[in-house]
Amino acid sequence: MEITLENIIPIPLKENLEKRPSQVWHNKVHFGPAAKVKIKAPSGTGKTTLVHFLYGLRADYTGTLNWDTKALNRLDADQIAHYRQSEISVIFQDLRLFAHLTARENIELNRVLQPKEPYYPDTVIQEMATTLQVDHVLDQACGICSYGEQQRIAIIRALVQPFSLLIMDEPFSHLDQNNAQKAAALIDSECDKRGAGFVLTDLDEDSFFNYNTYLSL
Amino acid sequence: MLNTLLKKIIKTGAGRFRYVLAMIGLTVALLLILAAIQLQANYWQLLKGNGAQDSIANFLVINKVVTNQNAGNTNLTDQDIEDLKKQPFIQAVGVVTPSRFKVAASGGSAMPFYTDMFFESVPDQFLDITGGDWKWDDQTQFIPIVIPNQFLDMYNFGFAKSQNLPQLSHELVKSIPIRIDIQTPTGQKSFYAKVAGFSDRISSILVPQAFMEWANKNFATEPPKGASRVIIRTDDPSNPKLIEYLDSHHMTTDMEKTRFSKYRQIVGFVVQVSGFTGLAMFLFALLIFSLFIELTIASCREEIRLLVTLGASPGQLRKFLMKTFYPANIVIAIIVLVILSILQWLLSGLLAHESMTISPVISLYTVAGAVIVLLILWWVHVRTIKRQIAGT
Repeated sequence: MEITLENIIPIPLKENLEKRPSQVWHNKVHFGPAAKVKIKAPSGTGKTTLVHFLYGLRADYTGTLNWDTKALNRLDADQIAHYRQSEISVIFQDLRLFAHLTARENIELNRVLQPKEPYYPDTVIQEMATTLQVDHVLDQACGICSYGEQQRIAIIRALVQPFSLLIMDEPFSHLDQNNAQKAAALIDSECDKRGAGFVLTDLDEDSFFNYNTYLSL
Repeated sequence: MLNTLLKKIIKTGAGRFRYVLAMIGLTVALLLILAAIQLQANYWQLLKGNGAQDSIANFLVINKVVTNQNAGNTNLTDQDIEDLKKQPFIQAVGVVTPSRFKVAASGGSAMPFYTDMFFESVPDQFLDITGGDWKWDDQTQFIPIVIPNQFLDMYNFGFAKSQNLPQLSHELVKSIPIRIDIQTPTGQKSFYAKVAGFSDRISSILVPQAFMEWANKNFATEPPKGASRVIIRTDDPSNPKLIEYLDSHHMTTDMEKTRFSKYRQIVGFVVQVSGFTGLAMFLFALLIFSLFIELTIASCREEIRLLVTLGASPGQLRKFLMKTFYPANIVIAIIVLVILSILQWLLSGLLAHESMTISPVISLYTVAGAVIVLLILWWVHVRTIKRQIAGT
């Protein structure tokens, strides 16, 4: 899928952002399957807001945001659900896992959510968990896992579904360098497998991926 | 798999107790509503089923009540007859035409009797004698007549026994020619008549309408008298409205045929009370169900929001919630139908001893009633779930 932003400004930050130079806000930006985009921004400039706009969780902006050819705020709930099941995947900064479900169940939910045949068999969960060294917490309730473990669960959850665009909001914030490397390698290979693009937001510079676009908010 | 996960995420535990109470309420409500329908169906079957064997039940002869005040003046006016015709529970009204001449009848050697008598006639559509026998024109050799069954019974079991005379069968009576002497203004005229049939419906001696008109025109010794009796056809002789109407107009009829009226009022009352109570309980059950669904969805609002965020479609959630809440209703409907089937089977056995026949299985109306209730429940569920999901 392709996401096109044109003159997007979040209404709550309007006065602040209009005066600041930005490569995203009040600009024309395009994210597609070829995107390897890094958006670097300091705190408070609307990083998470942008992620929520891109994923369709918030709509308090001016300007137009298109998913493929249609304005996102014109899509109905079922169309949005279809995109989220098979075209766009997300790793939230606040992770958003079901605390009382086990790690495995959280991942499984996203695997079986689309009505079609799942993209991966359920053995993949075990494999990915082993790769990211969280296989020992798979059958533990998410609520009692550490943040680092939860973050890796959230990453795996985003990778077991089909997608052509992956949105990541500070996906390695709770991981050490070593674990972040492993996670980035897994994400990279999963994107390559699908021919999918990604958009990553973070506070600092990093060299986890071969970005082809750098944007600042 | 998805459903198992959804079941873990959307907990239906809240208000479980109230839900069970609502389910019991629905069971009772459904039992009352469907029992009312079944009772009515049974009653209809008794009424129509037995009526079919006994078609005379649908014909009633009506006359005014003879009192000391109106003796000698019991004619029904044209207005009375018009008014009868207008009543929705009366399908047809026929005037009983009396003869206006003197008649005497005598049998031959087979049936030695002589009697003064009278004729009456009713329109043919009120008689169930079919075939060529019931016809008269001035070429016909025998006048066909219909006599009440009671006459023959009186003769066979009363008169013949006491006088040592032979008993007569229907067939024998039909084959005996009867001499009819009519006093005309110009003297006595003789005809021959044959019994063409026996009637339970009208306690009178009937001749074809055509003969009556012809004879009244040619032989009348008295002026036209107007109608003192009418015959009506009604689809339901036990209709309380009919009885009420007759009472209020000082008319009367064969009460044997209308005896169902009293039962029917009782059945009607029971059906109404049971139906209304059931309906009221059903409405409360509906209310509690929709409240329970709202409660469940409200208590899982965060979870449902996250599910939608992850890509669950409203359709998927609605389907899951329908699957969670609705099947219990089908189970209840089936349980209620089974209970009613057992009751109906027992009742039909019980009534069989009283030689009243009702079907041993429940009626289609009852099943249809259950289906309609399920459809209403389905609609309320779909609507509540849709509204609540859209609201999260």
